Amino acid sequence: MDVDPRHFNQVAINDNDIHNIVLSYLVHNCYKETVESFVASTGTKQPADCIEDMEKRKRIFQCAVEGNAQKAIELTEELAPDLVEKNKDLHFDLLSLHFVELVCAKKCTEALEFAQNKLTPFGKVEKYVTKLEDFMALLAYKEPEKSPMFHLLSFEYRQQVADSLNRAVLEHSNLPNYSAMERLIQQTTVVRQCMSEDNAKNGNPPFSLNDFLRS
Amino acid sequence: MGGVGDEEPATKRMKLSAGELRGLSNGSSCAEPVAGSSRDLMARPLPSEGDEQVVGSKGVIKRVEFVRLIAKALYSLGYKKSGAHLEEESGIPLHSSFVNLFMQQILDGNWDGSVDTLQKIGLSDETIVKSASFMILEQKYFELLDEEKDMDALKTLRTEIVPLCINGSRVRELSSCIVSPSFGGTPGKNIVRAKSRSKLLEDLQKLLPPTLMILDRRLEHLVEQALVLQRDACIFHNTLNEEMSLYTDHWCGKEQIPSQTLQILQAHNDEVWFLQFSHDGKYLASSSSDQSAIIWEVDVNGGVSLKHRLSGHQKPVSSVSWSPDDHQLLTCGVEEAVRRWDVSSGECLHVYEKPGVGLVSCGWFPDGKCLFSGVSDKSICMWELDGKELECWKGQRSLRISDLEITSDGKQLISNCRENAILLLDREAKVETFIEEDQTITSFSLSRDNRFLLVNLLNQEIHLWNIEGENKLVAKYKGHKRARFVIRSCFGGLEEAFVASGSEDSQVYIWHRGSGELIEALPGHSGAVNCVSWNPANPHMFASASDDRTIRIWGLSGQKVKHRGAHSNGIHLNCNGGT
Repeated sequence: MDVDPRHFNQVAINDNDIHNIVLSYLVHNCYKETVESFVASTGTKQPADCIEDMEKRKRIFQCAVEGNAQKAIELTEELAPDLVEKNKDLHFDLLSLHFVELVCAKKCTEALEFAQNKLTPFGKVEKYVTKLEDFMALLAYKEPEKSPMFHLLSFEYRQQVADSLNRAVLEHSNLPNYSAMERLIQQTTVVRQCMSEDNAKNGNPPFSLNDFLRS
Repeated sequence: MGGVGDEEPATKRMKLSAGELRGLSNGSSCAEPVAGSSRDLMARPLPSEGDEQVVGSKGVIKRVEFVRLIAKALYSLGYKKSGAHLEEESGIPLHSSFVNLFMQQILDGNWDGSVDTLQKIGLSDETIVKSASFMILEQKYFELLDEEKDMDALKTLRTEIVPLCINGSRVRELSSCIVSPSFGGTPGKNIVRAKSRSKLLEDLQKLLPPTLMILDRRLEHLVEQALVLQRDACIFHNTLNEEMSLYTDHWCGKEQIPSQTLQILQAHNDEVWFLQFSHDGKYLASSSSDQSAIIWEVDVNGGVSLKHRLSGHQKPVSSVSWSPDDHQLLTCGVEEAVRRWDVSSGECLHVYEKPGVGLVSCGWFPDGKCLFSGVSDKSICMWELDGKELECWKGQRSLRISDLEITSDGKQLISNCRENAILLLDREAKVETFIEEDQTITSFSLSRDNRFLLVNLLNQEIHLWNIEGENKLVAKYKGHKRARFVIRSCFGGLEEAFVASGSEDSQVYIWHRGSGELIEALPGHSGAVNCVSWNPANPHMFASASDDRTIRIWGLSGQKVKHRGAHSNGIHLNCNGGT
């Protein structure tokens, strides 16, 4: 590179690039209306079928986050057939969401049957055994939110599963399963850390993304 | 109740019973005897019997405990009537009625009843009550699962087990069990998960305080303890399968220790410096300042005869080392070379040398594929059998006069490294530890179990070090004489219970390893005894090597001397050493 790393703020940037970065973020997270208004404001080209695809993915995401795994699976089958079947990890996570729903609704018999029929077949593979034990442990408690496994009932967990589902669907449609924004931030953090390690000898503090964004 | 003239004693017995019950339930020792009995004690001329609280001459055995153990033993042996009769006659019940009820409920599978009774048994420690309840409910849970009553089992888990609020990790395991005994198998397969009820009772016994429920076989355990202690205290114990009787204390006499010269082997032309039996005890190797080594064969009757004379060294041979499979032998010439010999043919297979320096000690690696030797430049070398040098540890690792041992797992290398220190080099962890003495160390030997090192010192003491974990001095043995020469000692006898050493006063000394007591000082040689080796396969045989150029084979007194016609080693001798 011709430019000295310390003079990075003199690198030329293309406006289109910025627009695409923002767009990819919005599309990834299904912000349909924002996309429409952004496209209108900036004149950026919008990929074909983009809106429709976003709508569908948004509904899938919503169902998953709410814990309605069965509906999420149904919708996913429509959009991306066989995706769930082929992706074992994802399938297990979605089924476990349904299991958790049953447990929270105190439907013990149903939960037990569901676990015995749908979840235990996964137990033949080593890596699912611990996860399976985690979920089964929930059954033992009358108040699962007070059990050691309470994090499995949390919003954060459901969001995590919904997120993986979203990425899998994007991949299936041959779209990137990460947004450019994410990658750029990740790369920037690493680069800045490397640079600040050099500067640390001069007494500068290590890189903090938060501080950078606020500055 | 009551036989002849039994009014007063009967009442006393009943009162004692009630007191016992109370005492039993809160795990305390028995209540005081009623005042009446002490009055009677003074009236009666003889002690023992009657209502004494303690039995036995030392007054440490409590009557109540003793009788309960006997009753328990009677029941275990199957003598139910005798057991019940003892309980009645002594007035000392084996278990309180609640405990009896509890045990019956467990065996009947009355889980809820047993958990209930648990509260009434009178346990002061809440945690024990909870742990015991947990154990019982776990059994209930598994038995329900085995009966395929999954929902009932789940209910037990949720409403009875979890509220105990203990053992969370076990709860997790239990909930996994509902779906399948092991995830590899198909659900619904007939695998029995519950243990037997008598096993449950056993486990509960271990949990509850011992005063409440007498442990199974407790009396047998105490008796075995006594027998083991007797055997350990027996300093002459040197024979396998000695039967121990309960009628008298175990006692072995000195006749178990070899103390008679059975054979004198005269084949070396100069001082014999070193000797060692092979691991299987079928051969003996000796080395001498006459620059040769000899392999002797031990026949089935214990007779020793010359098999091969190994010549080739140009210097006195200071030590030998048997290969792990006893098929090969290493010999070391003083500051010269190490030679490898084939035992059956007597052929020299290889000579190991280093230009410019001499080798001072040798040892086999446990896999038999490499050997080590100390070098006169103070380093230690590792060779492959074909002569290729593999490794070399430089620095102060060995001395001019040096022993070298390797533990049988190949992990530790042990060598004299300074005048008063021994180096223990952990080859894997690359850690060095030392044994340091105040006096110069002349030689050492390693026990068969790799846990102990016997160290001979200049000041005529032999020190026993425990080298497992931290190096610790454990015992000292004295009595033999050492002034100018290297004298060696060794472990020997049944389970290496003895320590034997040579001495400059021409005698062989034997100590009991555990107690440090000197057992024998055996005369016979006419020169300093340099080395002793005890046959690892025969606790009644050891060999000694002396400056008088002979090797003596020692055995039990009273043993007939066996000797071969060939070679001048058949001197018939009786009752030589010892008393």
